[in-house]
Amino acid sequence: MSTQSTVARRTEFSPERMAKFHEYAEEYPNKRSALMMVLRLAEEEFGSITDEAMEIVAGLCNVAVSHVQGMVTFYTHFKRPFHGKHRFMVCATLMCALENNTDAALDQIKAKLGIKPGQRTHDGLFSCEKVECLADCDQPPVVQCDNEHFCSMKGAVLDQYLDKLLKEEGKSAAEYAAKAPVAMDTRVPTLPAHYNFQGGTEKGARHFDDKDPYFKAGEGDLHTQVPGPLATPLTVPVADGVNGKGTVSNGRSGHDSAGGAFNGNGANGKNGAKHV
Amino acid sequence: MSDASKPNPAGSGDVPPVKKADESAAQKAAGAPQPAPVSAPAVPAAPAEPKPKVPFSPVLLKHIHEPGSHTLAHYAARGGYETARSHVGVTPPGDLIKLVDDSGLRGRGGAGFPTGKKWSFLAKGTGKPIYLAINGDESEPGTFKDRYLLEKDPHQLVEGAILTCYAIGSKHAFIYLRGEFILGFQRLHAAVEEAKAKGYVGKKIFGTGSRGDASPEVDLTITVVRGAGAYICGEETGMLSSIEGGRGYPKIKPPFPAVSGLFGCPTIVNNVETISAVTHIVKHGVAWHKQWGTEKSPGFKIFCLSGAVRKPGVYEVPLGITMREMIDTYGGGMKDGRKLKAVIPGGLSAPVLTAEMVDKATLDYESLASLGSMLGSGGITVLDEQVDMISTIYNTMRFYHHESCGQCTPCREGTGWLEKVSHRFHHNQGHQGDIELLGDIAKNMRGRTICVLADAAAMPMQGFLQHFRKDFEAKVKETAFVEKQRTYRDEITPTAKTITATGAGPSALDVGSNGSKG
Ligand SMILES: Cc1cc2nc3c(=O)[nH]c(=O)nc-3n(C[C@H](O)[C@H](O)[C@H](O)COP(=O)(O)O)c2cc1C
Ligand code: SF4
Repeated sequence: MSTQSTVARRTEFSPERMAKFHEYAEEYPNKRSALMMVLRLAEEEFGSITDEAMEIVAGLCNVAVSHVQGMVTFYTHFKRPFHGKHRFMVCATLMCALENNTDAALDQIKAKLGIKPGQRTHDGLFSCEKVECLADCDQPPVVQCDNEHFCSMKGAVLDQYLDKLLKEEGKSAAEYAAKAPVAMDTRVPTLPAHYNFQGGTEKGARHFDDKDPYFKAGEGDLHTQVPGPLATPLTVPVADGVNGKGTVSNGRSGHDSAGGAFNGNGANGKNGAKHV
Repeated sequence: MSDASKPNPAGSGDVPPVKKADESAAQKAAGAPQPAPVSAPAVPAAPAEPKPKVPFSPVLLKHIHEPGSHTLAHYAARGGYETARSHVGVTPPGDLIKLVDDSGLRGRGGAGFPTGKKWSFLAKGTGKPIYLAINGDESEPGTFKDRYLLEKDPHQLVEGAILTCYAIGSKHAFIYLRGEFILGFQRLHAAVEEAKAKGYVGKKIFGTGSRGDASPEVDLTITVVRGAGAYICGEETGMLSSIEGGRGYPKIKPPFPAVSGLFGCPTIVNNVETISAVTHIVKHGVAWHKQWGTEKSPGFKIFCLSGAVRKPGVYEVPLGITMREMIDTYGGGMKDGRKLKAVIPGGLSAPVLTAEMVDKATLDYESLASLGSMLGSGGITVLDEQVDMISTIYNTMRFYHHESCGQCTPCREGTGWLEKVSHRFHHNQGHQGDIELLGDIAKNMRGRTICVLADAAAMPMQGFLQHFRKDFEAKVKETAFVEKQRTYRDEITPTAKTITATGAGPSALDVGSNGSKG
């Protein structure tokens, strides 16, 4: 999502949406309070709330980009670039989960698209996630996709809907069975959008200093290296790392009461012996 | 689309509930009040109603099955906006507040606070604008009543908003809908636009100021805001934060919103159903509203029935009917003849009721409170004997952990730990102390946070621990058994763990405790 394009970034919505924005700006007591609705405009305009969209919204509503980013990461319903084009949201709260309705819907989605909750198809067309109560608890399972709301969405109805979408996209279930899906990386983008910003517009140019960890002086005016996605997931088992290091650094082979809790391995000399 | 996929969703046609209400009245009269006298001493708040039973037919949901019920044409044809027209600019606002106060209407959003009283707490003479914020977030699991009011009868809500704003002297109402209500948002937005075109919303509504009856000018803006999937935005101050364009962080109370709410101005927050009911109360009067319900919970309310019943759906009934009547008569009894195990009576936050308690419960605020639970938002979920209580509580705790906004440590960490420990039970890893641990965490979460989400998470946990402790204990026994098997297996094939235990035992640790052994 954080592409290193040098194409001038857009700084406004399309004229119709700008008109809509001005309507909101009049109706709401201040521009900041229109944020929820303006973010919806951004979602429509860009298909999802991209870095660029956040930048524009921040400019329009007179708030910092970080504030917009805070909003977007707080509210789970906003569509983000890591979601698929068709975003399946399956209710997993108690009323739907009773009698395995949620699982039934998820299994069907897995069978046709090869994706589990938290995953996206390799081509980014479909994604699937579990969400909390969608407020139609009498007809489980409840599923939302593409701004549509479905009740009792399992069995033939769901299959038909999936087939319809597959046909629309010219794809087949076989393709998704063959190609592995990717995990949706739901982390905040590593860089706010304006680090790649061309600058020069009235609100574009921002000043960075060398202390900024992302800014490398000498890499051109406002061009920075965008760290690629992390190779390892964030959930590295922590205990192991602590264990090994702790033993080594204080030079003991494990008879250390302070580190007692972690010393299971060190004490038997497995780790410690190597270093002492 | 969603219309098509929801064939006749609510089982509450106009005719059947009336018939059923009569039936139950007949049953009562025929000498059926067996549970009531038994529970009367233990439940002082719910005396057998002295009032004669008045037949009831749905009020708020009356028209939801009629095609086009969401349009102005349909609403106008049934006398829509006449109430607002006859009161706005004519009746003194104070009289309207008094009327709603006298009617005994209580908030339908969860807390059940008397609406008229809330309105009268509004800070006066501050010179600041007054706001009305209508809560259509409806994210309490098990509740789906506002959805019908928004999708099928939005004009009823708009008229209620007009009357309420006039009564409290507000010129700007916000209606906050959850982001998932896509159809509801479209319809409500369209309804506001229609009302605007007719001059019911906007400047000088209903021609006030130029009608020749010396009425003062009344202006009103109605803004529909769409949320984006956060349960916490149902909490009133969380919702206000969201309308202000921030994360949905609740704010500490006091000051209550009636004193300092939206943009620091006095604000009244009410649920969609409450405001919709205002329309009818103003139209028909106090006596009409009080003919139903109990002394302390007058009127009618929409209940949302889900779970293992034959006919789940929304049912509008007078308050004070028995829980049994709701499940057996309206809900058509248990699905596939299963046995009832428990009922969650007021949305997921309400502590669970056991089958015996269900027999005693009546659907009013006091009865459920006396049973240690609450009426809440009216979402009744029926659990049958096949339901595993441990997975139920795990699912519930996952919900609260996901939805905690993270401002307060007891809530952020507490919900997380409740989830983790119940996850342990769910996966057969719960040990003896864990039951106490759950109780302890829950106890320490209550009353220590900014908003009551922490309590809302702790209450169901405490309810389950109190009433279904056996299920937890059974799980602990099962775990102990499984682990015994595992230990046995480990003894046959010694692992690193067993070597550790013999090689560097506790004595070795003691010797090195001061670090003298470098
Ligand atoms: C965590 C939490 C979630 C809530 N969710 C809702 C909700 O979805 N809808 C609602 O109307 N009230 C909700 N409430 C209750 C509101 O805070 C508030 O009491 C209510 O909207 C007031 O309206 P009323 O007086 O008409 O009931 C929630 C409260 C809490 C603590
Ligand atoms: S109690 Fe929980 S949800 Fe409420 S403000 Fe505190 S952290 Fe947020």
